[in-house]
Amino acid sequence: MMSTALLEDTVLSPTAGRLYRRQNALTGLLFGVGLAVLGWFIALNTVQSNENFGSDMTVAVTMTCWVIGFNIGIGTFNAVFAWVLGHDQSREDELYGAGVSQGRSRYFKYCTDHKVVGTQYLILVFVLFFVGGTLAMMIRTQLLTPNSSFLSPQTYNAVVSIHGMCMIIATIIMVSGPFANFIMPIMIGAKDMAFPRLNAMSFWVVVSAVPPLLATFFVGGVNAGWTTYAPLSVQDGPAMICFAITIITFVVSVTVAGINTLITVLTMRAKGMTFSRMPIFVWASVIGGGLGLYAMPAFLLAMTLMVADKATGTSFFVADQGGSGWLWENVFWIMGHPEVYVILIPPVGALMEVLSTFSRKPVFAYKMIIGAMTGVAGLSIMVWAHHMFTTGWAPDLAGPFMLTTELISIPTGIIFLAAIGTLWRGSNWVRLPMYFGFLFIWNFIVGGVTGIYLSDVPADNYFHGNMFVTAHFHYTLLGGAMIAATAGLCYWFPKVTGRMLDERVGRWAFWLIAIGFQVTYMAQFYEGFKGMPRRVANYDPVFRPENLVSSIGAYVLMAGWVVLLYALVSSWRNGAIAPANPWSAKSLEWHTETPVPLENFLQDPLVINDPYGYGGVASEQIHAVFGAHAHHGANNGDHTS
Amino acid sequence: MSSNQLHNDDSILEDLAPEVDRDLHSKHVRGTALLWLIMTVGGVLCGIYLTPRLMPHMFAKEGRDAVLTVQVFTVVAAPVAALVCAVALYSLLHTRHRASLEHPPKDGKPLRGNALASGAWLIVSTLLVVFLLFWGLTEWSAQQVVHADSLTVNVVGNQWVWDFEIPAQKVRLEGDKSLIITKAISMSQLNLPIDVPVTFNVTSKDVTHGFWPVNLGIQVDANPRATTTVHATPDRLGKFVVRCSQLCGLNHAYMYTEANIVSDSTFEAWVAGGATKPIGSLIAKGAA
Ligand code: HEM
Ligand SMILES: [Cu+2]
Repeated sequence: MMSTALLEDTVLSPTAGRLYRRQNALTGLLFGVGLAVLGWFIALNTVQSNENFGSDMTVAVTMTCWVIGFNIGIGTFNAVFAWVLGHDQSREDELYGAGVSQGRSRYFKYCTDHKVVGTQYLILVFVLFFVGGTLAMMIRTQLLTPNSSFLSPQTYNAVVSIHGMCMIIATIIMVSGPFANFIMPIMIGAKDMAFPRLNAMSFWVVVSAVPPLLATFFVGGVNAGWTTYAPLSVQDGPAMICFAITIITFVVSVTVAGINTLITVLTMRAKGMTFSRMPIFVWASVIGGGLGLYAMPAFLLAMTLMVADKATGTSFFVADQGGSGWLWENVFWIMGHPEVYVILIPPVGALMEVLSTFSRKPVFAYKMIIGAMTGVAGLSIMVWAHHMFTTGWAPDLAGPFMLTTELISIPTGIIFLAAIGTLWRGSNWVRLPMYFGFLFIWNFIVGGVTGIYLSDVPADNYFHGNMFVTAHFHYTLLGGAMIAATAGLCYWFPKVTGRMLDERVGRWAFWLIAIGFQVTYMAQFYEGFKGMPRRVANYDPVFRPENLVSSIGAYVLMAGWVVLLYALVSSWRNGAIAPANPWSAKSLEWHTETPVPLENFLQDPLVINDPYGYGGVASEQIHAVFGAHAHHGANNGDHTS
Repeated sequence: MSSNQLHNDDSILEDLAPEVDRDLHSKHVRGTALLWLIMTVGGVLCGIYLTPRLMPHMFAKEGRDAVLTVQVFTVVAAPVAALVCAVALYSLLHTRHRASLEHPPKDGKPLRGNALASGAWLIVSTLLVVFLLFWGLTEWSAQQVVHADSLTVNVVGNQWVWDFEIPAQKVRLEGDKSLIITKAISMSQLNLPIDVPVTFNVTSKDVTHGFWPVNLGIQVDANPRATTTVHATPDRLGKFVVRCSQLCGLNHAYMYTEANIVSDSTFEAWVAGGATKPIGSLIAKGAA
């Protein structure tokens, strides 16, 4: 094995990487657009003439061609073609693929280095949040006043639907993309992910899923919300096809990423990294990724049948022709409820790392947290019909689903126990990640308590379909998962970018976010209590004051995110150079250089304890030793021990 | 044994037997307990007095059940939520390392778990969940009791209006009076007599809608090709709004109408008059 220093300076032969040398985001775009135009042209002259589903078929063909073309252009299929043709990749090809000697341009290429993929995901997540956030501002602007006509009802529905799905996609990948890729392999002492090429694939496939989502706006807009209940969605125009192609493509990406995470953790751990020494974040990535493998394929299936209904005249979900809207609702939520925990569990894992590092204490009840996350994941596949209490489907199952839903509060409670147990009598170092940690605790308490109202069938008969539900899931998803992910982002920022995050500006952002968030969504709880339905473009003037307050809160909240984005970007460009281990943390990612070298470690780590030995006896304090120079390695950049 | 080791043994003792380090230990516990008490009391008071004021007056037991559930669940959740907040707040206020940009001089107590705390937490949260479940099931099953001679009302959702129909039937009013409806009554508002149990049969002509007579506290979807049923007994005179709670397309926001709960005599008079006049005009005449 070559040493890392050598890798960095290696001059590769001019043919290394072969086809990959010629491929980048631009060729992807060209191939994607080219194939899409070709597909569109062919469809126009063949299937378009079918009066029932001509335009749906045309859009389906065009969008599918885009996705395939883009992935041909970027290089997703190169290795498959090469394998079929009998070319094997040489070590040089692999090094080229990992981005050696390509500078910044590797971020625009099919790059297999997990750190590059993680960074690419991070940027994509920013972009998606920016798009989703802009749509959110449009929604709140429309709702400033009762009879506003800022958006037409048609546009309003389109904006609400895409806001929802854009945010769901962003939150699913916000931790599993950047951090499970960049940080997690280093945490377990691996040189890369188990399947580096699949890793690059998972990123570029999700990139190709985004344009169809935005294209919905130009072909009539999605009318049916992010939940796209049938038969309304089946009535929708070709925008629904674009939406479905986005989901199908996205599921491919998430599935590939999930398998990669699982296999990496199973097979690539450093010597001594037993399961009971693994950082909680690694466990969380595995559990979240594994749950995704259960949940997401249901979405792919549902959307495939939806495309069939719309573009070929099947009737899986059309009651008038023997199908059933309830079938859609069931399959959707069989995906949809586990999916909220696919979103939540990885950020909670990141949060536990933050709490432990900054309270200078071991995580409290390590094994119980793992059990709790597993329990949440297991139960979450059995609660889906709590979204269907009021649909009239299977009234006799209301009781059992109330049971499973309320049971999930027990493992969820253990996560709180672990969080406060970790803080209790810590030497709490309240830096920016910790600010967001405290905010998570408050928000998630509110989200959890309002969840138990909704799990009660008689109460849900009042709250379902009203703004209370909207406020509940924003408290859990935005206030919970996304705030925890932000804590993780501020925590790992120095490792990912090599720079310290500007904490002064960051704190300003924090206060705007914290306060703006409470104002926005507390006002929405109030709207819900009063009986305002959700997903409405205009509302009864009796709801005027609280909507005004909610919109103002939303502007403050958005301002907070913009300030945070400013802090991130400016620090990334000119921040103070970060030391290898600015927080004196114990897990492995802090015990290798910053910037992290290709293949991550100069010397192989040997793990001897879990990474939570804070305040313990000397022998517990050390998580891992490196190579022959054990003592040098263990103290690398760590000024406490 | 190294000095480090000794120190560690000390701290373990301290947890098991508070008297070893009573001062320090009880200071933290007392501070947190005080915060917990204040927040619990606050939460309980909010649950009892604030939450019912946030919700509208309900016109049926089902609606009042929802309000009561919010009250009870808030009260039950308050001690747990307060404990989490108290520990977090206490950590923030009292064990925080002051010069926050500087690295803390020492680590915190290495508590890796505590069987007592975890066990107690598990038992308490399980008991609470059992209570929530018991509460919900009891309330829900009481709501399922169907009155033998209830008034049947057919509800049909269309994009984007509600249609109601009272089919021909004999309606049992109060005091064993009965009112015979000979010809089906169609209406665009939901007019109902007070204190008569109603069964709503709900369906849709197009997409899925959500039948939500807000202040009755009941809801059920209107699905095409299926009939779903809900029950309620309006027991308060007045009017409220019937909304659509399931996104149903372009004009979903405008799919609402009025519900009027009127006295028996007004209802009878309205039916006698051919059920064509707006029922409000009859109330105005003082028939109520
Ligand atoms: C104690 C924990 C929780 C309970 C008991 C709970 C319960 C519920 C129930 C019963 C609903 C359906 C409400 C309705 O539509 O009438 C709901 C909606 C929802 N919950 Fe939760 N929830 C909990 C935690 C969470 C968490 C942790 C997340 C996400 C991270 C979450 C995300 C959502 C979302 C996204 C919806 C609504 C989706 C939609 O209709 O568009 N919930 N919750
Ligand atoms: Cu759910």
